[in-house]
Amino acid sequence: MEREGITAMKSHEKKPVNPAKSIDSLQGLFQILKKSKDFITLSPPFNSLSIRISYFRTLVDANILHQDVLSYLSGRSFSSLQDVQAVLSFGTSKVTEQVEVIQKSVLNGYILIQLNESDSSCLLIDISKIEGRDITKPEIEFNILAPKLAFVEKLDTNLNLLRRKLLTPYLRVEQLEVGYLSNTAVAVVYIEGIANDQNVKEIIKRVSSIETDHVFDSSYLVRTIVDNPNSMFQQFISTERPDRVAAILAEGKIALLVDGSPFVITLPTTLIEFFSTAEDYSIPWIVASFFRALRVFSVLFSVLTTPLYVAIITYHYELIPKELLETLVVSRSKIPFPPVIEALVLEVVIELLREAGARLPTKVGLTVGIVGGIVIGQAAVEASLTSNVLIIIIALSALASFTTPIYSMGNTIRVIRFPFIFAAQLLGLLGIVIASAFLLTHLLRTKSLGRPYLSPFYPTRLSDWKDSIIRMPLISMNRRPLAASAKQPIRFNSEKAKKNRTSPRSDFDD
Amino acid sequence: MKKVPIEYQISPYMVFFLVNSMQIGVGLLGFERISAKLAGNDAWISTLLSGLSINVMIWMIYKILNQGKGNIVAIHHDVFGKWIGGAFSLIFLFYLLVTGATILRTYIEVVQVWMFSIMPTWILVGIFLILCYYIVSGGFRVVAGICFFGVLLPSTLAFTFFFPLQFADFRNLFPIMQHSFKEIIKGMQGNLFSYFGFETLLVYYTFIKNPKKSQKFAHYGALVTTAVYTYLMILSLVFFSEKQLASAIWAYLSMSKIIQFSFIERFEYILISFWAFVILPNVVLTLWGVSRGMRETFGMKQKYILPILILFIFILTILLDDRNKVNLISTWVGKSGFIIVYIYLPVLWLIQSLQIKFRRQT
Repeated sequence: MEREGITAMKSHEKKPVNPAKSIDSLQGLFQILKKSKDFITLSPPFNSLSIRISYFRTLVDANILHQDVLSYLSGRSFSSLQDVQAVLSFGTSKVTEQVEVIQKSVLNGYILIQLNESDSSCLLIDISKIEGRDITKPEIEFNILAPKLAFVEKLDTNLNLLRRKLLTPYLRVEQLEVGYLSNTAVAVVYIEGIANDQNVKEIIKRVSSIETDHVFDSSYLVRTIVDNPNSMFQQFISTERPDRVAAILAEGKIALLVDGSPFVITLPTTLIEFFSTAEDYSIPWIVASFFRALRVFSVLFSVLTTPLYVAIITYHYELIPKELLETLVVSRSKIPFPPVIEALVLEVVIELLREAGARLPTKVGLTVGIVGGIVIGQAAVEASLTSNVLIIIIALSALASFTTPIYSMGNTIRVIRFPFIFAAQLLGLLGIVIASAFLLTHLLRTKSLGRPYLSPFYPTRLSDWKDSIIRMPLISMNRRPLAASAKQPIRFNSEKAKKNRTSPRSDFDD
Repeated sequence: MKKVPIEYQISPYMVFFLVNSMQIGVGLLGFERISAKLAGNDAWISTLLSGLSINVMIWMIYKILNQGKGNIVAIHHDVFGKWIGGAFSLIFLFYLLVTGATILRTYIEVVQVWMFSIMPTWILVGIFLILCYYIVSGGFRVVAGICFFGVLLPSTLAFTFFFPLQFADFRNLFPIMQHSFKEIIKGMQGNLFSYFGFETLLVYYTFIKNPKKSQKFAHYGALVTTAVYTYLMILSLVFFSEKQLASAIWAYLSMSKIIQFSFIERFEYILISFWAFVILPNVVLTLWGVSRGMRETFGMKQKYILPILILFIFILTILLDDRNKVNLISTWVGKSGFIIVYIYLPVLWLIQSLQIKFRRQT
């Protein structure tokens, strides 16, 4: 016994299991699968043949197995797998000998039927059961006047949501697999004839060249294939809204759906796209333009106000007129720190509250965090640790950073504030300008799928400006944005659209 | 000559921004004094004439480049052969490099005089050069992007041009043409240096898509500069009296001191800080141009040349530690710029044209 144990151990040592290697025989596959407790192999006693059914108990739908498979098999005899296939009328069934296909199918919830234990060919039937939550409202990218559907973790459900939005035969879905452990399904979705072929090819090339063991989220996957992984700025948009993805696909861009992730990635993108919402297109263009401009302004405000405060109070108080300076000086008169310490402390407090709010279970946490911030802030002022004016500035700039519709961009904006504060402390206004120049250079160097990130500003594409900081009327957007470099640049016939418009006439027009 | 791949090239309209951003630099802050000293209240005529003569030179540069096979390095190689041509290229590139260093040093001087009087030069220069390295290592498109924003962002400050008008005395301008033609021509000396910088066109020409189409944009860029300079010259003439102007080293900055809002005073601080955006294109485009030119002369990679150039500028700017030395080198750069643009380039054009004609005949 002992010796056997040792030899078994030795043989185990000799043949280390390597999950990265593919299995080449059916026998070998069975040997590995059998070690798991939830892998079941049945040899039903109801007929004379030695038919064998194998599956993962945890991956298949037991009801379908009993009602639609086992009950049809009982009391019959089969001479070939094709006979079995004919009896069991499932849409997705196949007879194959390829071990790779068998492995993949079994792991995806297929049952495997063999006529003999030693047979190498087997019948695979899909009776998989995928658990997941139901479709819910979008929570991160909340819009008031827009569809209320969000993606979920199931790839098929997400594709269903997307196809429902774009009922065209040209909507192409290419499926790839990533990760040798997770074998995650990744769908590259685009509209054939509109999306730029070069972009599609590039993205498929990049996704299929990913070297990793597992993928748990779409943003995780895309992190490994972005143009510049060291950039703080996201070079892709991750959204949970099917309407947004559909609109982006119609522009000629490409979407990446990853199984198990409720966020869909769209590429290529530009900086300005992060400040648009689906809602912008459903409200009057003047109002929409106002909100767009407000969001862009809020970014500048959020990044620049605290550094400006530090720079002006530290170096250039002459900039402030006497009357205004008085307010500032009075509010700072009892504070023992230099402005930069004061600002940094408050900024860190706000970041702490935000982070704590984000980790709290509900969205209420966020509100609690902000309210807590104001309470703490008030106490800090009364204890003369910070000035009133700075509290207002920092609270406002935090508020401004929450206006960006895409969550990750808000994070970036909050982080880049800190280098600006340090620069302001070092060189005052000049430091802020130099930090801005660094930021500008970084944005100029950043590319999304090889396309410039600062488009339509640089390189200048005047025709794209009508959907950037402002949003012009929809009728003027008869061309797809040049940033997407769509194959078919014309979206609709503007002449026809103008002619068809029913505008009320008055005596003035006659 | 290998052709520049299209993904590194820029659209022809960008030449407007490249030319304009290279011309408008630190000169704008204080070119007025010397012009006014030489040509009095007719200095604006010499400013205008300089601008127009610059346009003629741009026209000539395009003539040279359009009939050559590449940029100045390739043309030198073609016209003078490997050794002499290479030497000429190096002289030209050295001139560009020193220009860049001078511009940077002058700007740092402004910062030191007006904002941070005890800040050591090497810190300011060091920070600037790190930024420049980051920009130039991004490639020509990034450099051009900085030039683009270096025109666009500071142009929001154009409103400062109109504030001094409330104290303007237009009688200062009259009588027009009371100075002799010779004096007016002499006055051009005072402002020509401020117009220079466009000659980097000789290097980045091959990086323009359809370079022949870009000529009109180069002219527009130079014309905008001419308009701005002439306007500023008139503005300083009507704002200052002749004696005041003679002592105003940074005339434009002195004028901007009067700008006041209910929430901001001392506007020159903002102006000087923002001026970094105006200076950056000057420095990065020269750095890029010199490194590119050296790359083509020596066949070395720009990656290895750039740090050497940056170190050179760093040391040079530290050596220029007082006003007199800065003045000296500015004058030197201005003179060599004058020789290169107004004397050497026409000669080059002549030799090149003759050579092409001669080759065609044989």
